[in-house]
Order: sequence, then structure tokens, then C-alpha cells
Amino acid sequence: MPEPIVDPLAVTETAGPTTEEPRRDDDLAPPDELPATASEAAREESSVGFTALVIAGLVFIVAGWLLPWFVEQTSNGIGFSAQDAVSSPPTGIGTFVVYLIGVAMVGLVAFALYDLLNSITHRGRPLRWWRRRTALAILGAVGTLVVWLLIGVLREEPLFGNISSFAATDNAVWMTLTGFVVLALTYGLRPWVVTHGEVAFGGVVFMIGALMPFIFNQSTSFIEWGASAAAIYTLLALGLNIVVGFAGLLDLGYAAFFAIGAYTCGSLASPVHGLHFPFWIVIFIGLAVAALFGAVLGAPTLRLRGDYLAIVTLGFGEIIPDAANNNLFNATGGPEGITGIDHPSIFGFNFGIDAKFYFWSLLIIIAIVLVLLRNIQRSRLGRAWAAIREDEVAAAATGVNPVTTKLLAFSIGASISGLAGAFFGAELGSITPDSFQFAVSVTVLSTVVLGGLGNNTGVAAGGILVSFIIFWMLDHLQEWMGTFGLKFGLPALGTIDYSRWVYIVYGAILVGIMLLRPAGLLPSRARKSELQAGGQSEALAVVQGVV
Amino acid sequence: MPASADATALGVPAEPSPTLMARIREVGRLLNRAFPVIIVAVLILMIGLVAGRSGGTTAAAEVREGLTIGAVYALIAVGYTMVYGIIELINFAHGDVFTLSAFYAIFIAEFQPFGFNLNSLATSGPPGFFAALAILMPLTMIAAGLTGMLIERVAYRRLRTAPRLAPLITAVGVSFIIEGFLFATQGSTNVRTGKANWLPGNAFTVGGVVISWHDIFVFFSALVLMFLLQAFVRLTRLGKAMRATAQDRDAALLNGVNINRTISATFFIGSALAAAGGIIYSVKDDLIVWNLGFRFGIIAFTCAVLGGIGNIVGAGVGAFLIGLIQVFGGQLIGSAWDNAIIFAMLIIVLVVRPVGLLGMKVADRA
Repeated sequence: MPEPIVDPLAVTETAGPTTEEPRRDDDLAPPDELPATASEAAREESSVGFTALVIAGLVFIVAGWLLPWFVEQTSNGIGFSAQDAVSSPPTGIGTFVVYLIGVAMVGLVAFALYDLLNSITHRGRPLRWWRRRTALAILGAVGTLVVWLLIGVLREEPLFGNISSFAATDNAVWMTLTGFVVLALTYGLRPWVVTHGEVAFGGVVFMIGALMPFIFNQSTSFIEWGASAAAIYTLLALGLNIVVGFAGLLDLGYAAFFAIGAYTCGSLASPVHGLHFPFWIVIFIGLAVAALFGAVLGAPTLRLRGDYLAIVTLGFGEIIPDAANNNLFNATGGPEGITGIDHPSIFGFNFGIDAKFYFWSLLIIIAIVLVLLRNIQRSRLGRAWAAIREDEVAAAATGVNPVTTKLLAFSIGASISGLAGAFFGAELGSITPDSFQFAVSVTVLSTVVLGGLGNNTGVAAGGILVSFIIFWMLDHLQEWMGTFGLKFGLPALGTIDYSRWVYIVYGAILVGIMLLRPAGLLPSRARKSELQAGGQSEALAVVQGVV
Repeated sequence: MPASADATALGVPAEPSPTLMARIREVGRLLNRAFPVIIVAVLILMIGLVAGRSGGTTAAAEVREGLTIGAVYALIAVGYTMVYGIIELINFAHGDVFTLSAFYAIFIAEFQPFGFNLNSLATSGPPGFFAALAILMPLTMIAAGLTGMLIERVAYRRLRTAPRLAPLITAVGVSFIIEGFLFATQGSTNVRTGKANWLPGNAFTVGGVVISWHDIFVFFSALVLMFLLQAFVRLTRLGKAMRATAQDRDAALLNGVNINRTISATFFIGSALAAAGGIIYSVKDDLIVWNLGFRFGIIAFTCAVLGGIGNIVGAGVGAFLIGLIQVFGGQLIGSAWDNAIIFAMLIIVLVVRPVGLLGMKVADRA
């Protein structure tokens, strides 16, 4: 409570050159048990967005350092990377700058790791010395930027070392730089970030997201991954979060609504039935149909709770792809599915198969959905969901209508899934029943749980993480390990057939994360207090409306 | 008027003038009470339809088919129902333990330390078959049981007090790990178990329907194992501890039950029975594939729910019913709709009678 962090007005980024350290509150005995824990809890909660940003910055820096080891080298890339420093010590005029950057990098990363460790173990006071970190971050970012711009503008051999060609790729350079910018902003605007964690995190994610096609302009597979997998799975996870996280209704058949959305939109904009409605109208039809099915399939499950509900939804999730596979009403095309779905166009410009445009459209839609969800969650309906989740009988007794509340959760969740399905079909141009199997439902559910049940920010982060692991990392494992093995003289690494081990890796990741963080990576405050102090404080949190 | 359901549940008299919802609820209550009769009637109707369309011999052969596949489901379903009964977890990995133990059985049967293996022993004649079975069955069951205990120890025990979804996700993760292991080591295609000719020949023919020794072995070994299990749970001290833990974990703990050991034992027994299911499935169908366990697991869970989750006899009854419904539904509608029929069945059961055929009321605890 005496910390300046919870008081945004006391310390801002323009606080001037005062060298005053934040006070150590270790010395101050907490005046009372309750306020102490409350402020503790508030600070921990509000630092979640901060932690997420630190993680994001670190991931980008580390990935930028490591990437050139794993990707094909391109001759027209710009810049200097960690490998160059390792493989050829700088000897030229750039030496000083490079070592300066190196110190800044190491210091910053060490500080950030220390912060992270503290916030993961919930020990210590991770909030001191942020000014030094800010300085380091800015130094690193500006230094790197200057060096890289020099190289990029001059287009000469690097200023230092004996490097025969431009070894690094643009991707790596831009990634490292992005990481520094994120860390610099995070530490520089620290008080604001701590109090506005979600907004800051969202802003950074959307900034990086919008820039991603440029950052990764050398590797189209990354952009395609981002467009077709990460964005769609994030959208699905946000929709499922309504059903599972907000309303507490465990849904194991969520892929059914994804399929319904995709098939509805596919049939309305493809040669199958000779219909060619414009995409931007079709998505609303798909959304509405999925919402309708959400309510229809939700209706018989209203009496069920917990795992029984899970099994019924699992049943629906199995029946829908089966029906599509068996060409129900001759409308679904059987195992071959629907092909030749129209690509969307806007103002006469056709998206075609260019993943970039789908990615940007999905990004905008995700932003809209996030804002809407945030508002719904804080509305009367959101509170009704929380009440139903906590105690259905008590909620019904206090005037919450369980029927409409649950059905709304099902249909709003399903409608978002339908939207994702529409984009899925339009981007790929064809859909088959295989795309909507149980594995999809499980993946989305694990995304939601991993990210942090009930927390939109966490779920979005989980969506990015899980789809990154499944659709990009596991896909490229073979290639990476091959390159890695060659670089480090372990060619045996490249001879293993990794595609055989993908399931084990994914399963182990699921089990590991759940064992280490049973409430997810970024748990909502209510879940966290439930884990730490039992149901009492969760009920309190719901009453206070902070869920 | 959703409040009236809770009102009647609390013992408060319902409103005097029946609304539409109240009428629907009344119908639902009738259906609920008559459900066992209805399901048997539907089954008889289905058998009648098949018999009328394709002849009595076909229908009888389908009954045989349904009962043998039901026997396999029963042995898997028991594991689900026991685990759910005791820690309220849908153990998604259980179906994969079934597949894994079928592969254990292949390994053990082909293991050749003294110049001969169990496969050659088993095909040498009935005494050899029983000798091979007496070696193979316990070894595989112990191996699978230990696997089950390991899974519980590593993936579930730490999460016993965590939010409900966490162990469910680790269960899915363990399922992926087992399937991935089988995929990586056994390949993606069907594997012959080599047990198809363990018990050759036909036993007898009833009204044109050939009953092979396979069928008799599959059906009766499942019955015997289920009977032994029921006796174990009813009569032994450990069985009593299991029932106590399932009923109220804290109270059992206060009365001196070692909860961790009891739950471990539950996983051991459930996995061992799945292993027995794996062996009799190998004898029955011979082909096994890495991801077979997923589908069998979900079907077996359906059986457990149909019978009433937590109830061992119910799981057996549900499994034979589901086996018959699957086979006859496939005959009537087309085998492409197998899964859809089973899951539609599951949904109907849960909507009309959530406690299952023989279950007690546990829905509120979930």
C-alpha cells in the first residue's frame, strides 16, 4: 500500500530525474491483516498485464536472437544478430556500440527474468529499480535501432567482425527490436502499465499483430500461421471462454458450432448450391445460425451440470461432423466437404489467398469481440453468468433466470465460433468434416484453461501460445532441429523423425502447464483467490464485480 | 418459470395451475420413471425390425455381435465408472490404457525367452490356451494396472484440490501422450495382435447362428471378471474403503481410510480390467490401432453413464445395451451413423434420466 505503483499519480514516466528509490515496505509492519492482503492481492493482480508484457518482450528478444539459427539465411537481409557476435567477435569501429548494446541486453534480460521469477513464485518485491531497467531497455532499443539503421541504410558489410555476408535476416532484427521496444515501453510506462495492465497488453498485442506481416515479411509460413491458426483459434477460445469461463458450463463439443458456422457460410458462398452471397453478409448469417444452434443444442442440457453437461456437449460435437460426413440432406458434400468457397472482397478488392488480409480482418474482429466481451462481462448478464457459475440454486432464488442466462451463454459463445468458422472456410476455400473433430474442441478448451479461465486477456494469450506450439513449432520442429543439429555439430538431431513425437510433446506440454499452474497462465482474479483461499473470496470478488 | 423446479426440489408444493413448463416437467418425470422399460422396448423393437427385414438368423447373429462388443465395452466402462465414482474425474486416458495394454499383451505374448512364446503355446490346443491365458492375463493386467497408478500419481494426484477443469485437461494430455507413444513406436496402421487363432473353431450352432469359441470366451470372461470385481468391492476391506471414499472422502479419511492408497488401488483395478478388455478384444478382432482407445473410451463412458455412473453393475448393463443398440442401429440406419446413434442415445439418457438406469442421484455434486 505504500508502494507508488498502485498510485499512478504519484509516479509517472515524466516524474523527472529524481533518483529516489521506491520505499521498501519490508520495514513497515502491515497495520492490519486485511488491508495488507488486499493490497497484496491487488498488486499481484494488476501486475499480471505487466508480467505478460515482460514475457512478450523477452520472447521476442530471445526469438530474434535465436531465429537466424533456425531459418534459412537470406542474402538480402539487414543487420547483425547474436550469432554474428558469437561466431565472430566484433573488432571494427562498432565494437564499443556492440558491447554497450550487449551489456544493455544482458542486464535487461536478467532484470526481466528476475521480475518474472518473482511474480511466478509470488515471493519478494519484484517492483524495485524499475528506473534502471527503463534506462537499460531504452539504451538497448535505441542502440540496436541505431546500429541496424546504419547497416540498413548504408547497406554495407557490417561495421564489425569478419562477416562474409549478411547472415541475419530481417525477421530476426525486427523481432529483437520489437522485444526491446516492448520492454522499454513496459518499464518506461511502468506505473501506467501496472494500473492499466489489460489495456497496455492489448495495445501491444494489437500493435505487434498489425505489424506482424511486416516483421515476418521473409517467412510467409509465419504469416499464414498467424492468419489461419492463431487468429481463428484465439477467436474460438474467446467464444468458448464465455461458456466455460464466464458461465461455468463445461463444453467439450465446441467444434460443432465452428462446423455449423463454416458449413453455413460455405454453402451460401460457393458453387455447391449456386449461391454467391457477399462474404460480409454471409458471416452474419453464419453467426446467427450458429447462435440458433447454440440455443437449440443448449436447451436439452439446461438441467445438467458439470461433467454430465460435458459429455452431452461432447456427444453433439461428435454427431455434427458425423452428420456432415454422411452428407446430411445432401447439403454437406460428404467426406469431401464443400469446395470452391468464395474468397471475401472489400470495395472490389478480392482477398484471394493472401493470408495478410484475413489476418488483419480477424485482428479487427478480435478487438471488437474483446471490447464487447469486456462490456458484457461487466453487465447484468455477465454478473448473472457469474452467479450461475457459483451457485445455480442461489442465483435462481435471487431472481436470475437460469434458462435464459445459460441459453444466452451458449448462443453468444456459439455465434463467435460461427464467425471463426466463416473465416476458416473463406480463407481455405474448402472445408471437410475432418477439420471439426474432437481434437479441435479439446485444443480450444485447453487453450482456454491454459490461458486462464474467465480472463479474456489470458485466453487471448493462451490462444496465441497454443496455436503457436501446435501449428508452427511442431510443424517446423523437424526443420529447426535439422538446422540446429548442423550448426552445433550434432547432425543426429536432424535425423530423428519428429512428426512421430508431436503428440507426445503436445500432451507433455498440456500436463506440465496444468501441473505447474492449475489455474492457467494468467488466471482471473476470482480463480486465483479461489485457489489460494477457497470459495469465500471468490464469492467476495463476484459481489465486488471484479471478476 | 424456472423457480418452480427448485421449489419442488425443496419440498415446497408446486403452483396449483399447471403452466406449460410444468406440464413438460410432468412428462419428463414420467419418462424418467419409465425409462428402463422404454429402452428395453426400443431395443426389442429394433431387434424385431431387423428380424422382419433381414430374417431371424441375421437378427440373432447381430445379437451375438452386440453382446461380444458389449463385453469389451463393459470391461472398459468399469474403469470409468470406478474412477468417476471415487474422484469425479472423466479419465480421458482410460481408453488409451485399453489400447496400450493390448500392445503390452502383444509384447508379452511374443516374448520368447525359452524358445517358445505364448502365441505358440496358446495355439497348441485348449490346455495350452488356458495355460497361456493364465500367464498372459495377470502379467498384462499388472502392467496396465501399474501404468494406471503411475498416471494417477503423476497427472491427477497433485490436482485433486485444483479447479475441476485442470485434471480434465491433464487427462486429455495423458491421453495424447499415450496415443503419441503408440503412434511413434507402433506406427499409424493397424497392427495384428496375433491372437486371432488362439481359440479357433465353432462351439455350436443355434438356429442357424454360429457361435464360436471366441464369442463364448469373450462374453463369459467379461461376465466372470465383472462378477469378481463386484465381489471384491462388496466383500473386501479395500473394496469397503473404496465405497467409503467414493461416498465422502473426508469422512473416510477421518475413519482411518488411506485415501491415496485407495485411489491408487482404484486406478490399478480399473486399468487392469481395461487390460483384460484389451486381451479379449485382441482375441475377438485381432486388429488394433494406436488411436482405437479414443473412440472406445468415449463409448465406454457412454455405457457407464447409461448404467449410472459410479455403479459397477450399471456399467455392465449399460455396456451390453450400448453394444446391442450400436449393432442394431447400424443395421437399421447404416453403419456410418454408428457414433451418432451412440451419442444420440447418450444425450437422450442424460436429458431424460441423468442418473442412468441403476444410478443414484449424483448430478448435483458435479
